[in-house]
Amino acid sequence: MVTFVLAGILLPFLGSLLVLILPRSWVKATSQLVTFAAMLCTLFVLYSLGMTGKVGYTQDLLFFGDIVLYGVIVDKISALLGSVFILFGFLVVVYSGGYLSEKNRDHVEHNGVQRRYYFFLLTFIGAMAGLVMSSTMLGLLAFFELTGVCSWGLIGYYNDEKSLKAALKAIVTTELASVGLFIATAAFFVLTGGFQLSAFATLDDTIKTWLFIGILIAAWGKSAQLPLHFWLPDAMAAPTPISAYLHAASMVKAGVYIFARCLLSAGTVPQVIGVVGVIMAIVTMFYGLLMYFPQKDFKRLLAYSTITQLSYIFFALSLSIFGSATAFNGAIAHVFNHALGKGLFFLVAGAVGFSTGTRLLPNLKGLLKKMPLVGICFAVAALAVTGVPPFNGFFSKFTIFAGGFEAAKNAPLLMILVVIAILETIGSFAWLFWVFSSSVPGDSSAEVAAASDIAPSMKFALVILACLALLSGFFAMAWLK
Amino acid sequence: MLNVNLINTLSGLLLLTSLLVIETKKPRQSAILYSFQSLILVAIFLALAIRMEADQLYLWAASAFLTKVVLVPVILYRALGKVDQTVTSLNTVSAPVSVLLAALAVVVSFTVVSQIELKSAADFIPALAISVAHFFFGQLCIVTQRNLFKQILGFCLMENGSHLTLALLAYRAPELVEIGIATDAVFAVIILVALAGQIYKRLHTLDSAELQTLKG
Amino acid sequence: MESPHLIWLLFVPLIASVLSLIVHWFGDFTRPILEFLHLASVTATLVLTFIVAGQVLDAGEALAFSDWLRVDSLGALFVVIVGVMGFLSGIYSIGFTRHELAVGYTNHDIAIGGLDMGRLRVFYSLFHFFLFTMLLAVTSNNIIIMWVAIEATTLSSAFLVGLYGTRPALEAAWKYVVICTVGVAFGLYGTILVYSDAVNLIQETSKASLWTEIVKNASTLDPTLLKLAFVFILIGFGTKAGIVPMHSWLPDTYSEAPSPVSALLSGVLVNCTLFVIIRFSIIVNLALGTSFAQILFLVFGVISLAAAVFFMMGQKDINRLLAYSSPENIGLILIALGLGGPIGILAGLLQLVNHSIVKTMMFFLSGNILMKYRSRSLDVVKGLMQAAPLTSFFLLAGVFALVGAPPFNIFFSKFLIVSAGIATGYWWLMIVCMLLLMLAFTALFRMGSSVTLGQKPVEIQNGESGFTTLAPIAILMVLALVLGLFMPAQLTDLLNGAVEVVNAGVTATPLAGPNGSASVAGPLGGLSVESFFSFFSGH
Repeated sequence: MVTFVLAGILLPFLGSLLVLILPRSWVKATSQLVTFAAMLCTLFVLYSLGMTGKVGYTQDLLFFGDIVLYGVIVDKISALLGSVFILFGFLVVVYSGGYLSEKNRDHVEHNGVQRRYYFFLLTFIGAMAGLVMSSTMLGLLAFFELTGVCSWGLIGYYNDEKSLKAALKAIVTTELASVGLFIATAAFFVLTGGFQLSAFATLDDTIKTWLFIGILIAAWGKSAQLPLHFWLPDAMAAPTPISAYLHAASMVKAGVYIFARCLLSAGTVPQVIGVVGVIMAIVTMFYGLLMYFPQKDFKRLLAYSTITQLSYIFFALSLSIFGSATAFNGAIAHVFNHALGKGLFFLVAGAVGFSTGTRLLPNLKGLLKKMPLVGICFAVAALAVTGVPPFNGFFSKFTIFAGGFEAAKNAPLLMILVVIAILETIGSFAWLFWVFSSSVPGDSSAEVAAASDIAPSMKFALVILACLALLSGFFAMAWLK
Repeated sequence: MLNVNLINTLSGLLLLTSLLVIETKKPRQSAILYSFQSLILVAIFLALAIRMEADQLYLWAASAFLTKVVLVPVILYRALGKVDQTVTSLNTVSAPVSVLLAALAVVVSFTVVSQIELKSAADFIPALAISVAHFFFGQLCIVTQRNLFKQILGFCLMENGSHLTLALLAYRAPELVEIGIATDAVFAVIILVALAGQIYKRLHTLDSAELQTLKG
Repeated sequence: MESPHLIWLLFVPLIASVLSLIVHWFGDFTRPILEFLHLASVTATLVLTFIVAGQVLDAGEALAFSDWLRVDSLGALFVVIVGVMGFLSGIYSIGFTRHELAVGYTNHDIAIGGLDMGRLRVFYSLFHFFLFTMLLAVTSNNIIIMWVAIEATTLSSAFLVGLYGTRPALEAAWKYVVICTVGVAFGLYGTILVYSDAVNLIQETSKASLWTEIVKNASTLDPTLLKLAFVFILIGFGTKAGIVPMHSWLPDTYSEAPSPVSALLSGVLVNCTLFVIIRFSIIVNLALGTSFAQILFLVFGVISLAAAVFFMMGQKDINRLLAYSSPENIGLILIALGLGGPIGILAGLLQLVNHSIVKTMMFFLSGNILMKYRSRSLDVVKGLMQAAPLTSFFLLAGVFALVGAPPFNIFFSKFLIVSAGIATGYWWLMIVCMLLLMLAFTALFRMGSSVTLGQKPVEIQNGESGFTTLAPIAILMVLALVLGLFMPAQLTDLLNGAVEVVNAGVTATPLAGPNGSASVAGPLGGLSVESFFSFFSGH
């Protein structure tokens, strides 16, 4: 079974090497093939784990003396998230095949298939898989940093002043944050004499607190939380499929995942971490909500929405420190659901940009009439992200709030924060609904009326994701039960 | 004990000549003065050889005579013949200031040297201190003089200082070591002269203040 | 064991140097003959370094010339660095000098010049003499000859630095020689002080200058004298190693020298001077306990790191940026050595090896850029991705490696340094270092993105720079990756041995200070370097 896990991690890396060597005309197909194979492998891991009663296991792989440098951990969480990250990776690779063409009106200056794009994207997918499956702190750290490096190459892909600046901002911010994880990992190594996460539980509370502070700093940076959030809206200069993958589905989730994984390994965690986590999450959530209103650019709006959704996850994870397993499951489910929902939303934005050449919301009217598929997907994505039943966002958000009430039994003050979070949900629903109602139904604006058709590969990805957004809600919660 | 005093006195003379080397306006005269100073150094070596009954030092004296009294001054003198003498002596600090700095170097050297206890050099503390001061004089020359050839002479002074220290403290070292150090010194002068020559030929200046384009 | 190969190791480059200078009367064949001689010599040197290193692995040490030459594990590590980097720089030089020859030597006062046949001969001759002096520095067991060799490295590389004969090149060469000879003269004082103290203790005076003998008698050396001597040595050889504040020559020299020379200066020579400092620190540790040298290392390390990073910010010249990255890394190495303990020393030595590999590669790359753009300014050099995709790929990978991104080697040595720091209780220092490194990271990344991306100037032709200038880069990149993911057993053995040699000061004397091995707290204290590597050595 570990073979399949490893294949899931290594196939994308192999692909990224092939992309550099093979003739240019093979690049696209190779990328799609390796990610498809990697996806099958992880789905098989997920399936077989489900068949064997979801009993997790760990396998050490890479040693340095008797110190385990890297190993894989396969449990409910890593199998679930690993498969969604790779699955989404595959869809993004497919989507990119259509998106990166001269037909793209949003980026007319673009010149054909570039190895660089697929090289970084595939490396990124591999790194993400490696991160999720890692059973060691060193693995988490190394892949964490690798994703940062790849994100630089991807955000700066369009090679103009603006995107290069954004790319530099993104990598510097996230790498600065990762100093926290670096120090925490080194301290972990010094204190436990190894890297295995299982040793986390043996540490005493003071040390755990300091380690978690380091981890939280790294997680905040990667997941664009206050005060390290500012890189994400600018990173929208990336090609839209990249935004979908990095800034909705995977990279921003790396931070929360590391936090969740360490929480899980640490057993009991000092409540002060919970307090800090909850407060920062609420602050970020509100900041994000306020930033919705002035946004004119479709993608920037989505970026701020991502920031608030990630605060929900931090919120839920921090709640779990107060003793709510429900909140923890809600958080993991939300990682899963948000990846699909927000990813879909970004791909919709990409499709709109592709065919109309604009991403400015005031210019987008009557999408449904001109582009029914895109319009429907828009609706699905909006409903899923804001958490309207029966779309997937609802299930995880609901669980998070349920977990909040559960935790509030132990700490009554939390109740206020939970209520604030609910208010935020309502607010963001109202705003996104307004955006939806002004862009999707009704008569087409000039730009939309002149829209071209989108590529078949893009349609394919959109349809699959829309279906998943509708169906996966039940799945994630049931799986985690 | 005459010898000890002689050695200490001769060392004092070294300091005097090196001040002259630094402050003389014409580099060619400095080169001649340097030759004269090296002669004093050779005399010190000979005195040390008698005093310490160290036969190696005769060899040192001979090689110092060859390289420092003859070879290096000749190289410098000849090289200076090819360059315009009017570009010569510019200082970064005025003469009184540099004499003051020199005095400071002497004081510092004496304080430092009197702190350390070395059985082998107990009698020669003044000479040792002077050799260290001499080393600093050389550096002073390099820092305060803008003429490249004066900087080379500064290096030579520095080298004389360390050579004296070496003779006082490490005269028992194998010959090969002394040869190595002496060769390095001669080659350093040759290379510095050649570089200065190139700079003069190419950039038509011998003023180090004009070699300041590289920054940041 | 007595090793004739050790003697040959020194003689081969020396002979090549003399021969290169006199190859004169062959008309059109002069250049091929020079190149053949050059190739033969660097290859032979490489093979000989491996043989000597093998002997050290087998017998513990290699000796020659009645113990005047001695290579132990520590020395072998450095000998291998000189051999490998010398070989790769040698290969690179062929392509590079051919290109510069085609550009031609001009008398105009331009920023970056070319070469003519006369200068080519000088280049090859001095290249080998430079190699010889560096090899002498790391194989010498006689501390005064060590000094002689280091001084000789300055002299032999002076004309290499000023090879182009342009205004900036001559300026840089002058600064380099003057500052370094003055600096290294301090080192001579330190050396003489150590020697004159040792000569009173060691009966056989001819042996008093041998490092091995001094180490044997280290505990009876005069402590005050030794402290003074070590400060002199650190200042003196530190000047040559580019430790801040004695670094002022370094950016000019590294940026104006021809690229293969810059690579040798920053990737190899720096290590040789550090080697001498480490040798003396072992004596000091044995005599005074470890704390004295360690504190000096830490102070100078932090100063170097901080100042270098400060200079890297906003640097517009590619070579100067890379040049300042040297004191940054030297600072890290010194910090690691200052943290001490087996892990600290291991981290320091590993960082030294890794830095040497990556920095050499970076200077080769900057050479390739120079050949293409005839400029080093970030305002001019843009769009390398279009102009030369392969070079650009290597450059990006090199930047990633240099900033210590996984899976490259520096990531792991950096991690070990931070671990060693935390193990010895220097939490805050490590956080400060990491933040400083972030600034360096930013500067290097900005350079990488500015050079590779963007629009290339219209007059620049597309095309790579040729096999001999790309192959060494590829080899170095593979090395950077391999040492990141997998260590060859021979190298780990050498590192183990080297750590033992350096750490001798801690285990062999009861005088070990409060910052000695005892303070390596936690489970790491019981962690020996052997167990660290045993997996790779096959146990």
